[in-house]
Amino acid sequence: MDLIEFFGNHTFRMVFFGTMLIGIVAGALGSFAYLRKQSLISDVVAHSALPGALMAFLIAVTVFEANGRNMLGLIVGAVATGTLSALFANAISARTKIPIDTAMAISLTVFFGAGMILLRIIANGVFPGKGGIDDYLFGNASVITIADLTTSAAVGALALALMLVFWKEFTLRTFDPTLSTMLGFRARIIDTLMFTTIVIAIVIGVKAVGVVLMIAFVVTPPAAARQWTSTLPGMVALSGVFGGIGSGVGAYLSIVTGNIPTGPVIVLTLFAIFLVSLLASPRRSVITTALRRARAREDLRRELLNEMADR
Amino acid sequence: MSFLLGTSLLAIITALACALPGVFVVLRRNSMLVEGIAHAVLPGIVVGYAFTLDLDSPWLIVGAALAGLLVVLCNEWLIRTGLLIGDAPQGLVFPALFAAGVIMITLDFNHVHLHTHVVLIGDLNLAAFQQLTVNGVSIGPQYLYVMLAVLVVNVAFIALFYPRLKLTTFDNEFATVLGMRTGLLNTAFMFLVSVTVVAAFHAAGALLVISLLVAPGATAHLISRRLSVLLVLTAVFAIVGALAGFWIAYALNAATSAVMAVFYGFMFVAVAVADTLATRVRRHRRTEATSARRHRPTHGKTDSAHSP
Repeated sequence: MDLIEFFGNHTFRMVFFGTMLIGIVAGALGSFAYLRKQSLISDVVAHSALPGALMAFLIAVTVFEANGRNMLGLIVGAVATGTLSALFANAISARTKIPIDTAMAISLTVFFGAGMILLRIIANGVFPGKGGIDDYLFGNASVITIADLTTSAAVGALALALMLVFWKEFTLRTFDPTLSTMLGFRARIIDTLMFTTIVIAIVIGVKAVGVVLMIAFVVTPPAAARQWTSTLPGMVALSGVFGGIGSGVGAYLSIVTGNIPTGPVIVLTLFAIFLVSLLASPRRSVITTALRRARAREDLRRELLNEMADR
Repeated sequence: MSFLLGTSLLAIITALACALPGVFVVLRRNSMLVEGIAHAVLPGIVVGYAFTLDLDSPWLIVGAALAGLLVVLCNEWLIRTGLLIGDAPQGLVFPALFAAGVIMITLDFNHVHLHTHVVLIGDLNLAAFQQLTVNGVSIGPQYLYVMLAVLVVNVAFIALFYPRLKLTTFDNEFATVLGMRTGLLNTAFMFLVSVTVVAAFHAAGALLVISLLVAPGATAHLISRRLSVLLVLTAVFAIVGALAGFWIAYALNAATSAVMAVFYGFMFVAVAVADTLATRVRRHRRTEATSARRHRPTHGKTDSAHSP
């Protein structure tokens, strides 16, 4: 399939731009999660978005008799349960002796379990437009509509705008939390804002990528970008670019090869980008480090030999 | 054996087999790593299923467990490179492996017909469907005996290495100084966890097996201070959760593992709240007692001397 044919098709265009948008937003905002060493909380948020998205569907269908897959409703519901799950995990680790990783695992399974129960209720009941509601698990990029795309773009742009407006605060809080508090910035407000942007980045991917694999969109691009740059603006930008490229290429590959779901292919593409970065980026990578060490060892040997010869 | 009895027994044995090694997973702070393992075994299961055509086959279980171990080893390698920070190494490898598994399933790899729903949350009733009969008498689901074997292996491992596990869990550096091969023990333990995850997969699925592993141990950890007590309490919570989860799911016509995960969550919160309240009452009584003692010599009476 050539590119003209590819972009001439409405569905393909939607898949391509829809996933690319998700990749850019999640990649850019994931940088902060990465730098604050809180990558895994995004896994909890993503899984816990499921009951919220399904509840939004149920409420939309039964109360408002509207389209259950409405993107805005999905985002609101998913943000609500996603945030709740993160708060729940933090509350467990703050109030009991349970460490944070176990708290996250408990929170994740409770919310995801509730989501699976809701999924069964929807499957057993009579609701208009319930067909393919399973897609929230692994995503189905081919059902993205223009309305979905514009809503996602608007919400994603809002998250990115928040990041730009509070850039200074976010940076300070990430690299020197103590100084940030001493200078009078409210830690809780900045944390909430930063977390909200990350949650938004996660939930706009629920429809196209699914809750199970969304973590890869948040964790992988920043980890790859970090190997190429040492500045925050560089990292955020590059991470967004990696996310966008990985999603675009992955979406293209999944369409060209036919019957393969988009989300998993993108995840593998992103992982390939990460592997190349980790192994072979010129500045800091496994190969560069190994070469540098070998050179240092060689230099030292030569120096010692010269010293011996001089004596 | 009746189907209901066999299936509820299967729920209990599965819960126990997961919960006992889960105690050490919680204490060693490996919960999210095991979450990764649970995802990563998927491609192993698909490939194994293509060869054995039997989800209960021991070859499939051991083979797929190797895929889970891959996450552990990759995680250690990624941390050792020093190029990544925080918990990112744990979140990088498993989505890729899981994605590979999903792609294999959708491509109908070697005609493997696994439904994604079963992959994610399992199906206890389906797992219990194949009954084992001896001399024409049904002695419960075949899968029950697979899980029983896993439970026996887990208990044997914990019993055999109890002192070492205890030492490496609570003071790994000291264990290393003593000359213990902590890395080897950790790998062996993680392999066992991985085997357990794969074995329980059929009943609990990739996403909720982590609840079976972690939740009972975490609940017991809230209220126990000794490892032996912790293990016993964990078993109790696991059995209660399995029974309640199974029967509620049966009544609601919902997936057992999903109901079990939610029930475990409620149980955890209930115990946490009860423990907090009990601690508060105890502390209140203690301060009352000390203030009473302090004021006795001067006032003679204690009632008026209470501070609010």
